[in-house]
Amino acid sequence: MIYIIDHKDSFTHNVVHQFEKFDNVCCDNFNRINESKLNKAQVIVFSPGPGSPRDYPSSSRIYKKFKGKKKIIGICLGFQQILYCENGKIVQQNKIYHGYQSKVKVVSTNTLFKKNQKFTVGRYHSLKLQEPFVAKNFEITMRCDISNTAMAIENNKEKIYGFQFHPESFLTENGNLLIKKILSA
Amino acid sequence: MTSQDHLKSIGKSKKPFVIYKSSKGFDLYTNFSKKIILTNKNTKNFINNITKNKSKKKNTDLFIGFFGYEILNNLIGVKIKRQMGINFPKGIFYKPEKKIKLSNNLSYKPLKSIKLNKNFKINLNQASYSNIFKKFKKKIKSGETYQIKICTKYRNASEIDVLDFFCRLTKSNMAPEAFMIKDKNYSIISCSPENLITKRRHIITTKPIAGTLKKSKKLNKTKALEFFKRNIKETKEHNMIVDMERSDLSRICISGSVKILKKKTVEEYKDLYHYVSLIGGKLKKKVSSLDIIRAMMPGGSVIGCPKISTLNLLNTQEKEGRNIYTGSFGYIKFNGDMRFNIIIRSILNYKNCSEISVASGVVIDSNVKHEFNENYIKAKALMDLYR
Repeated sequence: MIYIIDHKDSFTHNVVHQFEKFDNVCCDNFNRINESKLNKAQVIVFSPGPGSPRDYPSSSRIYKKFKGKKKIIGICLGFQQILYCENGKIVQQNKIYHGYQSKVKVVSTNTLFKKNQKFTVGRYHSLKLQEPFVAKNFEITMRCDISNTAMAIENNKEKIYGFQFHPESFLTENGNLLIKKILSA
Repeated sequence: MTSQDHLKSIGKSKKPFVIYKSSKGFDLYTNFSKKIILTNKNTKNFINNITKNKSKKKNTDLFIGFFGYEILNNLIGVKIKRQMGINFPKGIFYKPEKKIKLSNNLSYKPLKSIKLNKNFKINLNQASYSNIFKKFKKKIKSGETYQIKICTKYRNASEIDVLDFFCRLTKSNMAPEAFMIKDKNYSIISCSPENLITKRRHIITTKPIAGTLKKSKKLNKTKALEFFKRNIKETKEHNMIVDMERSDLSRICISGSVKILKKKTVEEYKDLYHYVSLIGGKLKKKVSSLDIIRAMMPGGSVIGCPKISTLNLLNTQEKEGRNIYTGSFGYIKFNGDMRFNIIIRSILNYKNCSEISVASGVVIDSNVKHEFNENYIKAKALMDLYR
């Protein structure tokens, strides 16, 4: 079972339907966590949402508790939540991407995806990861083709994955494939 | 009787009535046997009980009316601080006993001529609008909202003949979700173009509009589409609404059934082109009318995104109640089928005072002057009726 933590976003149920293609999904609000379902889940997903990771201390606690014990996936704010918990700095961007379609490129060889492969993706984010970012076992695996902003991370050792863009958006091509790969990793 | 005769007779009768655009013309509903004034307390029960009514196999087996903005916030647990207002009911529904089909050609001669007051007062001048605008831009930069709509109101005091107004409005703007309500102490006329819910059996669709272009001689439908596609700001706003509506539908629809049926197409109206998408899905088995309403309302395209945090921002900034504006008008049938629009481009006339509310979106690259003027242009189409 996949447990999705909703940060009151207007895109969360697209995420739910996308993950339901692969497994049973349970989705609860971040301030109404069902502990027994959370404990039973094999995968935890942090949803997109408004604001910044520091607004959701309960999600940070869940991340730290289950890191290395369950597969963890973060999307947009959820991606930032993971980075924030790994001491990454989340900052405002000069150019803001809301409803934006852009190209991201696989920049690493040590990843589930082929190096230099490009994906067309949908973006909704005001904030981004400030670099340099270094954390044990983490690697930035995709970047915006134009601005070079970090767009995906992988930690294949502890099974932690994140996308700054929205694989569930209609603006993302092959979004299901991206999710399928990290779920079967 | 012709449509004109029906209008003449209903105009004379002083009976409350409702007119709603249908696919081929208009439907007139009257002879109301029940009138339900909604409060935060009775709304859930009201909605839940509609489908418990026994079907009489009549075309009047339905409740028709509107949900105001405040009640829709209440239904999804979003609080609104005490606002200034005119104490207008939060929602009203009627049970009609008579339905008459009217043609598209509505004309009506007023019984007496009324001298109309053409002067309107705005509740928010450009300076205060600009202030709110700046605050919201900061909120967009910090990621609390991606898009937000500021509402401004134009008001004047005058008695109006609503049937005359509505008929003239349908001549200047034949909108697919147009409606009017006339009751003893209030009336509403609207040329809403936007359908929020069409539900027949287990199929539900929504048709958000984001992007409007005024017609000109140089434009045609193909050129309008090119304009929208080239215009990055309109495209981004539209994309956001499409993903948000997909998500709202996904709450209540079978997994995998939500589809974009028409993606970013142009619809042509008398004076405007609209940038429109159509999204649909198959409802889950145990979904109630209340579940549908709570998932879809208030309609995302007139609020902003993400819905809940944006509503909270709006409700702390806007000092006056929105009343009917960005609520929904429509009907729920006894069999659970429903149709609802989003109440925009409307006049609320209550106690001989008219209120026209308009809003335009703030996204990161919006320009304050442009949006303020955009609001004025939207309101002007309705203010022009006062002559």
